[in-house]
Amino acid sequence: MSTPSGNDHGTAAGATSTGGQTPTSEASGGMTSSAAAGSIRDRLRSPGAQSSGGDTRGSDLSGEHFQQSDSSQQLYDNGRDERQLSHSSPPQEAEIQEPRAEDVDPAAARAAERLVSALFLMSFLGVIGFLVTYVFAPFTYGLEKHNQLFNPLLAIFMAMALGGIGAGAVVWAKRLMPDEEAVQERHPFGSDPDERAATAEALKGGLDQTQLPRRSLLRNTLLLGAGSLALLPVPLLFGLGRFQHKERTLATTGWKQGVRLIRQNGTPVNRNDLEIGGIESVFPDVPRGTKLADSAALLIRMRPDELKVRAGRETWSVDGFVVYSAICTHLGCPVKLYEQQTHHLFCPCHQSTFEADNACKVIFGPAARALPQLAISVDPEGYFVAQGDFSEPVGPSYWERPS
Amino acid sequence: MSLLEKGADSTGRWVDDRLGSSNFVRRSLNKVFPDHWSFMLGEICLYTFIILLLTGTYLTFFYDPSVREVIYNGSYVPLKGITMSQAYASSLDISFDVRGGLLMRQIHHWAALLFMASIVVHLMRVFFTGAFRKPREMNWVIGALLLILGILEGFAGYSLPDDLLSGTGLRIAYSIAMSIPVVGTWVAFIVFGGEYPGDSILERLYAVHILLVPGAILGLITFHLMMIWYQKHTQFAGPGRTEENVIGSRLFPAYAAKAGGFFFLVFAALAALGGLVQINPVWLYGPYDPSQVSAGSQPDWYVGFLDGSTRLMPNWELRAFDHTLSFNVLVPTVVMPGIIFTLLIVYPWLESRFSGDRAYHNLLDRPRDVPVRTAIGAMSLSFYVLLLIAGGNDIVAHIFRVSINTMTYTLRAAIFIVPPLVYVATKRFCLSLQRSDEELVHHGIESGTIRRLPSGEFVEETVPLPVAHHIQLTGVESDRPELQGATAHGQAGQAKGPGYGDTHVLDAETGSRGAVSDGPDSHGTTSHGRGSDLGLTGGSAGNGAAAGGSHASAGHQPTTRRKSRGFFYEKPAPRSTAADAPVERELENTVD
Repeated sequence: MSTPSGNDHGTAAGATSTGGQTPTSEASGGMTSSAAAGSIRDRLRSPGAQSSGGDTRGSDLSGEHFQQSDSSQQLYDNGRDERQLSHSSPPQEAEIQEPRAEDVDPAAARAAERLVSALFLMSFLGVIGFLVTYVFAPFTYGLEKHNQLFNPLLAIFMAMALGGIGAGAVVWAKRLMPDEEAVQERHPFGSDPDERAATAEALKGGLDQTQLPRRSLLRNTLLLGAGSLALLPVPLLFGLGRFQHKERTLATTGWKQGVRLIRQNGTPVNRNDLEIGGIESVFPDVPRGTKLADSAALLIRMRPDELKVRAGRETWSVDGFVVYSAICTHLGCPVKLYEQQTHHLFCPCHQSTFEADNACKVIFGPAARALPQLAISVDPEGYFVAQGDFSEPVGPSYWERPS
Repeated sequence: MSLLEKGADSTGRWVDDRLGSSNFVRRSLNKVFPDHWSFMLGEICLYTFIILLLTGTYLTFFYDPSVREVIYNGSYVPLKGITMSQAYASSLDISFDVRGGLLMRQIHHWAALLFMASIVVHLMRVFFTGAFRKPREMNWVIGALLLILGILEGFAGYSLPDDLLSGTGLRIAYSIAMSIPVVGTWVAFIVFGGEYPGDSILERLYAVHILLVPGAILGLITFHLMMIWYQKHTQFAGPGRTEENVIGSRLFPAYAAKAGGFFFLVFAALAALGGLVQINPVWLYGPYDPSQVSAGSQPDWYVGFLDGSTRLMPNWELRAFDHTLSFNVLVPTVVMPGIIFTLLIVYPWLESRFSGDRAYHNLLDRPRDVPVRTAIGAMSLSFYVLLLIAGGNDIVAHIFRVSINTMTYTLRAAIFIVPPLVYVATKRFCLSLQRSDEELVHHGIESGTIRRLPSGEFVEETVPLPVAHHIQLTGVESDRPELQGATAHGQAGQAKGPGYGDTHVLDAETGSRGAVSDGPDSHGTTSHGRGSDLGLTGGSAGNGAAAGGSHASAGHQPTTRRKSRGFFYEKPAPRSTAADAPVERELENTVD
């Protein structure tokens, strides 16, 4: 079969291949004349002279000229070097499986051309549509006069513009470009033993020239000096964090004795603000108290008889009002979902469930510890205040956390 | 010569005078790429990454990673007057006050989701077809690193808008870092600049997200592609396709047109998604507030498996000697992914260790032909999918109206029970598929005709498989003797030792290697064809020869390397029923 264009390609390529090699061959030959390993070294070095940037196949190219200049053998006689030839030879083309309608019928080919052109035209229209929409369509996002169509329209035109080119190119390739099955030989992956040995020798020779193996003082001081460079960034790393009083920071929150419980909006809470079964997010009434990530707490009111008070915590609650840390002891999500009937507190992140009427014991999920409780009392004005900080660090566990 | 040609000619001359690039360019243009739909998966990864770079760069012009508090006064009415971080406000501005900003942001997010999805699917393709085998182990490792970097990059990007959802994710990340034994709090403080939330994490994540990780990804992708370029792409078995060649279309023009067109198609699909399908509506979540959270908090899908393992883990914690070791955090988020990704990275070496296969492979396996690997893959996949389901267990429980507790207990059991079952089932399935292939190859296609022999015996007539199909089923490297003569590779294939790196090149020296085979049956055909020369032009003679070859050598069972690899390449036990026997005889008769 072979389309004419394919053949032309191949022939032209072959011609350039031989013509283009000679200068490089000479250049690299001169460069490596001092090398002990002779021709093999020549071969190993020339890729470096050849390849630039992303040319990963420099070796093939140089291998070929090596073959031409240094060896009179037939390429196929030398199994190893066959790769260089096969590699730079243009791929052979195989037969078309079955001729497509476009290959035999000019009308079908014209139809394909029209389809591709229509797709390219669609692309052009998409671009125009995109530009017009972008520049002229109303774009105001107040909820009332917000143009719901602006982004969808942009997207549709953009998809038209990009999709037209894309689909056009694919149809073009599939229906009009030669349906070839080109064959290309692979080159073997490993180098032959000579080449490997020469490389090893070159490395070893170079290393010997540095005299490093026999000058132990030099070697040891180099190891010490270069090795200690690894220490340089360590202090910089620690500069990234503020570690002063790390443990204390982790173990304490914004709550102190006498600090009022306030809502997110800053108002203090008294016992009339909550019905039985009610819940309120509370924060310490300190500067930026509502922004402190570890101080968020939950004020829950239940019937005093529902509350199972732990030994030692008798004075921590006030008439069925209890306060727990809102920070999950698992991974620190705010535990905010409260089931009134069962008194369950539920963390939406990993489904840890705590019993609010029983010291916030964990009854389900990956959390290991109960939510810490905040002891509260009522100040003279009737507002809730903290008796102190939480009795244990709030939030997730960490290594230094006392058991 | 037209003006255009003249211009191209002089430009080419100019460049070549300076770089001597003709040879390289020509060889590149002629490079052959094999064709298969599954090879496009890796292309999607590359294209989505390019789209991520383009849209991401646009977003950097408007995004501000500062946590400085501002009062929002943009176009989105419901949040007007609310105190929020500058980062969140700028995310809102991109969505509502930058023309086309929302489109770009949503394309970016969709592209990130697709990037990760295509990496995972591409990884599955490479795994199940054995494309990671020697000499491509390095590219497998790079691919695995890209997967890990992709997860990091995605998580960093997800955290930048500083909305309620992403802030919750950051807090979880901080808590995970804290759980690491001995150095945990130091690590967490170094990353976050102090106790959570600190005021520098967004700026740091921003540098990581737009510079550090994308730079690493870009470098690794470059290396990934250079290795594909140099080692050439793998291919599936087919007529004329051998371990030593690659058959497909050349880079220029057909492959370039198809691949380039495909880039624009991917971009078009993402553009349509970005404008028509809402993703991550940060304005609905509200600004981050450490005391707030919404029900149904979900990470992006590629982090879902870690969330799932965290949800399933029992609440084990060790408290002793004034220290706390939280297995409930450490195991599912540090230990388990550590093990998973280590196994993923070293898998090529594990497989070659256990299968004893040290050979070069350029032809891909059909998954069924390597039942153990396929079963391992399916087992791992089922484990992953279960974790992913667990990551959304609240959503699943809500949709199917089961209790979240039942859901969790069930999944805890399933994570141990299901993967082994999947392993066994997949292996059985592969062996059955092999058996049915074997039947097709030996027995042929059922024609529905029953013939009565002179002796009175009834036999079913079968039609031999078309050669192309036959080769697809048996594979060039297969140990099935009927392959002999069916491919251009001919007998050289049978003589092969552990790898053509050693033995085969010797073959080449005798001149039998290469595209033109001197196999017994391919004389008179032009070797590199698909179908046409081997199957169709050869016609019945070719088929007959192939079938004949099969029976000629069926007796002596050649020793092949696959046989020596033990359990890894398990084959179904030969099933010789009485019914098969006459058919074989009949076939032999017709051939002879």
